[in-house]
Amino acid sequence: MPDTLQPDSLRGLVLPDRVHRRLYTDPAIFELEMTRIFGRCWLFLAHESQIAAPGDFLRARMGREDVIMTRGRDGRIHGLVNRCTHRGAELCALDRGNAGGFACPYHAWTFGLDGALNSVPHRQSLPPGFDVKDPRLALARVPRIESYRGFVFGNLALEGESLAAFLGPMAEAIDNLVDRAPDGDIEQAGGIARQEYRGNWKFHHENANDTLHPGFVHESSVAAARADARDYASPAYDGHQTHTQMLSNAFALREWQGLALTGFAGGHSYMGGFYKAGVLAPDRDDPVWRDYRAKLAARHGEEKTARILAEDRFNNLLYPNVSLNAQYQQIRIVQPLAVDRTRVTAFCFRLKGAPEALFQRAVRFLTNLSSPASMILGDDIEIFERCQSGLANPVPEWLDQSRGLASDREGGGGRVVSAGVSELPHRAQYAAWLRYMTAAA
Amino acid sequence: MNAAVGDDLKSEAEAFLVAEARLLDAGRFEEWLALFAEDGFYWVPAAPGQTDPLNHLSIFYEDKSVLRMRIRRLAHPRVYSALPQPRTAHLVGSVTAARASEPGVDCECRSTVMMAEYRAGRADRRLWAGQQLHRLRRTPEGLRIVLKRVDLIDCDAAHGILSIPI
Repeated sequence: MPDTLQPDSLRGLVLPDRVHRRLYTDPAIFELEMTRIFGRCWLFLAHESQIAAPGDFLRARMGREDVIMTRGRDGRIHGLVNRCTHRGAELCALDRGNAGGFACPYHAWTFGLDGALNSVPHRQSLPPGFDVKDPRLALARVPRIESYRGFVFGNLALEGESLAAFLGPMAEAIDNLVDRAPDGDIEQAGGIARQEYRGNWKFHHENANDTLHPGFVHESSVAAARADARDYASPAYDGHQTHTQMLSNAFALREWQGLALTGFAGGHSYMGGFYKAGVLAPDRDDPVWRDYRAKLAARHGEEKTARILAEDRFNNLLYPNVSLNAQYQQIRIVQPLAVDRTRVTAFCFRLKGAPEALFQRAVRFLTNLSSPASMILGDDIEIFERCQSGLANPVPEWLDQSRGLASDREGGGGRVVSAGVSELPHRAQYAAWLRYMTAAA
Repeated sequence: MNAAVGDDLKSEAEAFLVAEARLLDAGRFEEWLALFAEDGFYWVPAAPGQTDPLNHLSIFYEDKSVLRMRIRRLAHPRVYSALPQPRTAHLVGSVTAARASEPGVDCECRSTVMMAEYRAGRADRRLWAGQQLHRLRRTPEGLRIVLKRVDLIDCDAAHGILSIPI
């Protein structure tokens, strides 16, 4: 390994108040990230509802690995590397489906849903010692798969902390999402949004809980919404939700300052909610919401219902690959493709037992924030790409992340907390980044 | 409704589609918006054969009021994702038109559209392509769009930013 990737060199790239541009531009650092971060952390792969029935499969990505998630006949979930063990062909070309197993199109080696090699053609031409049960001939497996309340995570490292330890208090975000379902269960529904941008994967996470940028980056959508005076009581196909989502970035600085930011040693972070009006406000009172709230109270009782619905958070970043918005039933998976190329996959959940109209709000939310034509995300992505272009300049070498540094404080339970527009989430991410990147092999 | 039938209806619809595409290529979005009926919708599905715009994600699903915000946004001096504004060239062809039988729609028009897109200073040129459906209403001011639906051949692929309507 070159000297520039040795722990001492890496430590010289991350300081509390700044990071070096090489984190975003150096392909060798990207490769090491794939090994030490995406190769060792728990990565969100699928929701169990996406592979609910035996034979269901779904493609996912873990760093460099293209993985097929399958549900076996016995109901067990497997993560299999999508590569025939014979000549290396990609085994599964579909994103999702149901199958009894996987047959390689090249020479018809066939594999079971658990990755076992079931059969090969023309056995008589193979040497006597060739044994289909040889584990080296089975599909490579994701060594560890664990599920938390329906959220399936995988880990490419044989050993390491458990999923529960990795999530820590961030499990509350998953709890809150599932607890919002009157039937106690959720399912992925409403389609998958896919975006690709020409920028480093870390830009997406930095932006997720950055509360200072909206007033600048999203000024044009705020202005367009402001110029459109609306009566929220009048009927609209989207309940004026698009207008609300555009206008919500018009928070005044003191309002952003009033939101809480929370970070963790694992790089995770979350921010308070900022949708305060219309059908997305936490204290909304419309027929759909009243119906939903009554159904939820029938399950949980009044006190717990009030507690669940009072959890007003926006993005919950589970570093390094997923951002969860429990309140609006959204999830975004961030998949690094190259040092300067990233894919973002987003979808929403149906809260089982909730009114159909509530699910339609989640769908609308997904269209508004994760479609390629999003009037909000589009400007964020433009900025990620400009950062990538800008950082191609070798100087200056450093990126500043000192905003709010003096006001970070311990919040108990491993939390670091700050009010408002701090770059605390950035600092939490890069402290974790450095720890992962310099941990012994 | 006029007595436009057969070839007359087709040539009228074709002229409408060509005029519409020219407005988009010229960036005359306000005039483009004016082609929509007050109850009109613009829909670009996110899945092949998508039938439901409410229970499934779309690339665009906008009524005239949301489309108006989109157009107004494009005129803002700091609309970063459209700075510089994309230049486009539409090609509309394989047009068919038929009279529609449902209330409020006089003509249903199908066509194929291609839109080449370029943003100055960017390395990539993009090509969007798909099938269009225009459901049109005859009004004293001319034909108006009740629904414009564009089914892109790659509607479910990963895309970069799409800041302008197709």
